[in-house]
Amino acid sequence: MYKLPKIITNLILSTLLLLSIGVYSQEEKLYRARVLLDSKIPANIELARLCVDSLVLDSVTKDDFISWTLRSFIYFDIYKRTEKNKLNSDLRDTIISSILKSNKLNPDETYAGNNKKLLQNIGAGYFNLAKKMLEDSVNEEKSLIAFNRFKEIYKILEPDINFKQKDIEYNLSIGSVFSDIFIKDNNNTKAQNTAKVALLKVIELDPINESANINLGLMYYNQAVNLSKELDYGADFTQIDFIQENMIKLAKQSEQFIFKVYSKNNKNVRSVEALFYLYRMLLDEPKSDEFKKIAIELGVKFGDESPAKDEKINEEKK
Amino acid sequence: MISLRFQQPSQPSNFDTNSKMKAVFLYNFTRYFEWPENKKLNNFVIYVVGKNESLMSELKNLAAKKKVGNQEIEIKNSPQFNSDIISNIIYFSPNIINPIGDAASKNKKQGALIVGETPESCYKGASINFVIIDNKLKFEYNEKAAEKAGLDTKEDFKALALKLIN
Repeated sequence: MYKLPKIITNLILSTLLLLSIGVYSQEEKLYRARVLLDSKIPANIELARLCVDSLVLDSVTKDDFISWTLRSFIYFDIYKRTEKNKLNSDLRDTIISSILKSNKLNPDETYAGNNKKLLQNIGAGYFNLAKKMLEDSVNEEKSLIAFNRFKEIYKILEPDINFKQKDIEYNLSIGSVFSDIFIKDNNNTKAQNTAKVALLKVIELDPINESANINLGLMYYNQAVNLSKELDYGADFTQIDFIQENMIKLAKQSEQFIFKVYSKNNKNVRSVEALFYLYRMLLDEPKSDEFKKIAIELGVKFGDESPAKDEKINEEKK
Repeated sequence: MISLRFQQPSQPSNFDTNSKMKAVFLYNFTRYFEWPENKKLNNFVIYVVGKNESLMSELKNLAAKKKVGNQEIEIKNSPQFNSDIISNIIYFSPNIINPIGDAASKNKKQGALIVGETPESCYKGASINFVIIDNKLKFEYNEKAAEKAGLDTKEDFKALALKLIN
């Protein structure tokens, strides 16, 4: 019987030894993962990933914020090389979940700061993606998903954040991209509606927003110009009358938005210049002369305004 | 917080819709008048009196695309009225008023449709005068002036005019 305490003691000692080896081994892994990450060599980063994935599964290190933050940085390194431009990325999802896990484990100030920076970077990535999808592929649906994810990320960082300004900026961009598409192709009513909805949303958030009012006004004005450009020289008087009627409607719709900007600031060059063109279209000579004079005083230069020049500008745009 | 600019703001088109509309009207007038035979032998000349670059540009564009019957369209321009220029249509820019009467008297039975753009034009001898009503380009018509110029007019033309001047 006397041997029993000795066996128990040995067992306890062996367990402690094994545990200490385990801890030592995990610390080694953590160190190794960090060195591999610092090497910046893609093959090493892959090894670092294997290392850190085993760390976060290990009972000893799974509740250590250092492991989770390190994991997020390792995954970020791979992500930025391979999946940065993807809307749906498992790597990105892993980075976010690792950061959130680390934050739950009460990281120290340094790690909390690193987590925040990395999350900001991921948020900015979504915003850039929203922009890229809008400009390059004109994929509004995917762009909107990316934009909403950007907002979700920033809400994690600052729960009380107000996105009004970002919503304005984003909708202005949609308005600008799609109104340009519509101006080039008047038959693209989908682009027209997308632009209108976006710009009206901006006006809802900020009724006197200069860019939204001007862009919406110019969209109507340029649409009227296109009607005129597309009018065949051989059109009969009935067709001419119909086109004139529609041009007037569009010009008057345009006027209400552009004049709003001018009323707020009578030195606003874009509104003054636009009003000159608008009243010229409406054949209102006294008003077009008045706004041309103001525009010149504000530094606008009117050169040769022949249609050929205008068409040249459009060609350059294309 | 990140801040990113997307697109350049839209620009107003500087296309002169007024000039385009006038060019379309002038071409349309050719459907309603019959010029004397001697005016059908050469090019169909539209003569613009006064400086009007955007209208000139539009008319040149018209000339490149359309014909009047079998006649090619030719555009001529001078800052002041020149009675030596033989034409089918004479358009007087709004800043050129006085020579309309002179042009009308020199073009009796010569087959030149005179088009003006001032309230007095049709009273001074122009057959047609552009007017603006409710932001629209319209025209007044002086049938007698067209007859004096040696032009036959289709009957339905009168109905298209905003006002008939005698």
